[in-house]
Amino acid sequence: MSKPSDLVQGTLDLLLLKILTLEPLNGFAISIRLKQVSGDVLQVSDGSLYPALHKLEQEGWIKAEWRPSENNRRAKFYSLTRLGRRHLEREAHNWNRLSAAISNVIKLEEA
Amino acid sequence: MRFERWIYSIPLRLRSLFRRDAVEHELDEELQFHLEQKTQHYVAAGLASEEAHRRALRDIDGLELHKEECRDARRVSRIEDLVQDLRFSLRTLRKSPGFTATAILTLALGIGANAAIFSVVNAVLLRSLPYPNSEQLFTLRSNQSLPDLEDIQKRTQSFSAIGGVVVQALNLTGDGEPVQISAGFCNADFFSALGVQAAMGRTFTAAEDSYGGPGLVVLTNGFWTRFFGADSAILGKSIHLSGNAYTVIGILPRDFWLPGRPVDVLASVRVGNPVAAKFRGVHFLRTYFRLKTGISRTQTDAELQNVDQWLASQYPEENRDVHRRLLPLREAIVGSARLELLVMFAAVGLVLLIACVNFASLQLARSATRQREIAIRAALGAPSGRLIRQMLTESVLLSLLGGAAGLVLAGLGVRLLMTLKPAGLPRISDTSIDASVLGFTFAVSLLTGIVFGMVPALNATLFGVSSKLKEDARTTVGSASGYRLRKCLVVSETALALVLLISAGLMIRSFTLLHRIDPGFRTDNLLTMRLELPESRYNEQPKQRQFHRELLDGLNSLPGVQAALVSELPMSGDHLNHNFVIEGRPRPAAGSEPEVETRTVAGDYFRVMAIPLIAGRDFGPQDQTGGLHVAVVNHAFATQYFPSGDPLGARVDWARSDPPNWMTIVGVVGDIKHFGPGEPEEPAVYDLYSQTAQQWKRWMYIAIRGNISPGILLAQTKQQLWAIDSQLPVTRVFTMSDVLAASLDHQRFNLTLLGIFATVALALAVVGIYGVMSYAITQRTNEIGIRVALGAQHQDVLWLILGQGLRLALIGGVLGIAASFALTRYMSHLLFGISPRDPQTFVAIPFALLTVAMLACYVPARRAMRVDPIIALRYE
Repeated sequence: MSKPSDLVQGTLDLLLLKILTLEPLNGFAISIRLKQVSGDVLQVSDGSLYPALHKLEQEGWIKAEWRPSENNRRAKFYSLTRLGRRHLEREAHNWNRLSAAISNVIKLEEA
Repeated sequence: MRFERWIYSIPLRLRSLFRRDAVEHELDEELQFHLEQKTQHYVAAGLASEEAHRRALRDIDGLELHKEECRDARRVSRIEDLVQDLRFSLRTLRKSPGFTATAILTLALGIGANAAIFSVVNAVLLRSLPYPNSEQLFTLRSNQSLPDLEDIQKRTQSFSAIGGVVVQALNLTGDGEPVQISAGFCNADFFSALGVQAAMGRTFTAAEDSYGGPGLVVLTNGFWTRFFGADSAILGKSIHLSGNAYTVIGILPRDFWLPGRPVDVLASVRVGNPVAAKFRGVHFLRTYFRLKTGISRTQTDAELQNVDQWLASQYPEENRDVHRRLLPLREAIVGSARLELLVMFAAVGLVLLIACVNFASLQLARSATRQREIAIRAALGAPSGRLIRQMLTESVLLSLLGGAAGLVLAGLGVRLLMTLKPAGLPRISDTSIDASVLGFTFAVSLLTGIVFGMVPALNATLFGVSSKLKEDARTTVGSASGYRLRKCLVVSETALALVLLISAGLMIRSFTLLHRIDPGFRTDNLLTMRLELPESRYNEQPKQRQFHRELLDGLNSLPGVQAALVSELPMSGDHLNHNFVIEGRPRPAAGSEPEVETRTVAGDYFRVMAIPLIAGRDFGPQDQTGGLHVAVVNHAFATQYFPSGDPLGARVDWARSDPPNWMTIVGVVGDIKHFGPGEPEEPAVYDLYSQTAQQWKRWMYIAIRGNISPGILLAQTKQQLWAIDSQLPVTRVFTMSDVLAASLDHQRFNLTLLGIFATVALALAVVGIYGVMSYAITQRTNEIGIRVALGAQHQDVLWLILGQGLRLALIGGVLGIAASFALTRYMSHLLFGISPRDPQTFVAIPFALLTVAMLACYVPARRAMRVDPIIALRYE
C-alpha cells in the first residue's frame, strides 16, 4: 500500500484530477476508481484522500455538490472545473516530460 | 486566471468563515458516507459487519486528525486566526476586569484628550476655508482705502477679483426695541473674490455699487432666520438701517462665513459709507484677492511692487513707504494661533505618551503573571510569531476600546473647550468630531496598541520562554527583564509628567502675575455699554453734543451714580490712532508723522474711572465748545515725547488737519492697561467730544460707576437714554470686572488646558509608580521576610522600599527638568512676566512631584512593612 508521502509531491493532485475528468465522483468512489485504473498499484489512504480533495476544492480546481449516490444516499460529488482542467493539462504535460526524463536516466547503461 | 480562482475560492472561504457549523456538519456527513461505503465494501468481501466497520475505521486511521487536516485545507487562516485571537483576547480580558478597566481608562484619557485637541487643530489649522478654491485667496496684512484698492484693481492683471469689506455696527429699527446689527460694507467684487453667490435672490452688481446708487442689502442666512423667521417674502421689501432704507435683494447661503467679526447684512460700501470710501487716507477695508489660475506669486509680487511705487509717487501723503505683500488668507486668519495650538498639541501628545507608557507597563506586569501560560503554550508548539500576534491582538483590542472610550471623552472635552470660549482662536466654533477626527483617533489607537503592545509581547516571548518552565513559579513572577523595563517606563513617565507640570506651573505663575497687575483704574462697580448715534439723525456736531450733555445730565442725576463717556473703552478691544504733530518741532514728511492713541471723552471721565492725575489739571467745566482746545496726555506720552521737559502747555494737533485744530496739553494722567493686563500702554492723547472737529466720531462707551446692582443700573440707564432717543440700541453691556476677566479669557483657556493635561499626566504617573512599586514588593516579599526575620526594623523596610521608589523618581525628575529646560522656551509667547526657565517653578514643581511620588511609594511600602516573616518564608 503506497502512502501519499511516497508519491512524488503533487502527484496525488494530478491523479485525483485525472480521475475526475471522466465523471463526477464521491470520495469513496474516487478511492476505488484510483485503485482499479492503476491496477492496484496506486492507492491513496482514506485519511489522506479527503484533505487532498478539500485542498483541490479550495484551489478552485474541483467543485463539490451534494446529490444522491447510486444507493440513494446523499453524497458529496466532486467534479472538475474549467480551471482544474487547464491545471491538469499543464501538470500532465509536466509529468510526462519529467517521467520521460527520469526513464531515460534510469535506462542509462554503464558504459 | 487569479480572478477565475477567486470565483470558486471566495464563496468557499466566506462559507468556512461564517457558516462554520454547516461546513463542519458537511465534513462529518461526507466522512460518515465514506465509512458506510467502506463498511459495505468489506461486508461484500465477506467480513462480518462489525469487523467490516472496524476495518473501515482503521483504514481512515485517525479520523479526527484528518478532519483537522480538512479544516486546515479550508481555513481562511489569517482571518480565522484573528477571529480566534480576538475571541481568546476577549475571554482573557473578561477574566481580569481590573486590568482591562485600568488599561482602557488610561488609554481613553490619553486618546480622548488628543482627539479633543486634534478636533480643534483640525477646525482651526487643517480644514480648508469654506470658499471654493480657497488656496487662491490672499489678503494684505494692513487694511486699504477704497481709492487705493481701485487703483490696485486697475493696475494689476493677476487677480480675477479683489474684494474689500469693512464691518460696522448699524442700528436696525422697526417694530420693538432698536437693535444693533453688524453690517459689512463691501464692493461688488467682494462676492466674486470669496466665490459666494446668493442662495436666494442676488448680490449687487458693479453698476449698483456706485456713489449715490440704490440702497440694496444682502442678508446672511443666520440674520435672515433670526430676524425674519427665514421668510422669503422679505425679498424685495425694505428694512431700516440707522435711519436709511435698504431693499433686501438676496440671502446668502448658510455656510457663508466672513473671517473676523461676523456680519448680519452686506451692502455696498459706496452707497452705505460714501464719505469714508472717498478718502484715500481712510484705510478701513479688509481685502480679499483671488488669484487667476496659473499666476505665480512672483508675478503678483512684482505687480504689487509696481503699484506701490506708482501710488507712492502719485499720493505720497498716504502711500509713502507702503509695501503691500500678499499673505495667504488662511495664514492671515490662523496667524499666531498656529504656534499656540501646536504647543497644546505637543502637550497633549505628552499626555498620550504617558498613558501609553502606563499601558505598556500594565501589560508587562500582566505578562509577568502570565509567563507560565505563555511558556506552556510555547512548549505545546505554538510558534512565537503566533504568540506575539496573540498578545498584539489583545493589546490592539484594548487600545481600540480605549480609543472608543476616548472618543466619548473627546466629545465631552470639545464641549468643555467651547464653554471656555477661546476667543483668540479663529474658526474654533467649527470644532466637531468629524471624519478626520475619527480617522485620527482610530490611527492613534491602532498605533498605540501595536507599538506599546510590541514591547511586552516581545519581552514575554523572545526573552527566555524556554527557561520559564524550569524556573519556579515564584521567581518567574519577577522576570528580570520585564521588571527592568517597567522601571525604565516609570522613569520616563515621571520625566514626561514633569515637563507638563512645569509648563502648567509656568502658565499658573504668569496667570497670577497677570491677575495681580494694576490696570491703572478701578474696575469694581463699573458698568459699561456702547452706543452709536445714527448718521441720518446725528450728522451735525451740535446735535451730538446736545445728546452727550442730556445723557450725562440724566445719568448723573441718579442717586449715587457717576457717569462719563469715552470713545475707546480700556480692554474693549477698540482703539483708534492718529498721526500727530507737536507745535514748534520740525515737521516730519506727510505720511510719516508719529502715531498716537486717541481717546475722546465727555464728562468727568478720569474721576469716574479713577485714573490718577499726575500733573496739571483734569478737563473741567471751563473747557467748552469754542473755548481753548485742550488735551490731556498719558504718562507714556509724556515720557516718550517730553522725556526731559514738561508737556504742560505744549500744543499738539492731528497731522494734516484742515483747518488746524491745536490742542493745549493741560494735564498728564496715569497709564492704564488699555490693551489688556499683559500689554504695555501706548502713548495716548485724550480730547473732548465737545471740542473735537471729528464729526464722524458718533460712537461712545458709557462708563457708569454706581453702588447699585448692575441690572438695576442698566434698567435706569436705558430709561434715561430712551427718554432722550427711543431709537438707540445699547450694545456690549458689561461690568468692568467682566471685561477684565474676559481680557484674560485667552490665558485662562491655555491655562485650563495645560492644567488639565498636567493633572492627568500626574495622575497617570502616580498610578504608574504605584503599580511598579506594588509589583516590586510582591517580588521582594520573601527577601523582606528574611530581612525581618534577621532583625530588620519596620523603619528599615520602609526606607528600603521608599529608597527604591525615590531613586526612580529622582532619575525621572532630573531627566524631566532637563527636557523642560530644553522645551519650555517654545511656550515663551504664552507666558507673561516670567522667563520660560523661571527658577521658582523649576524648583517647586519637581519638589512637589517628588513628594507625590513618595506618597505613591508609601502605600505599598507600608504593606511591605507589615510582611510577616513566617508567611513570607513559607512561600519558599
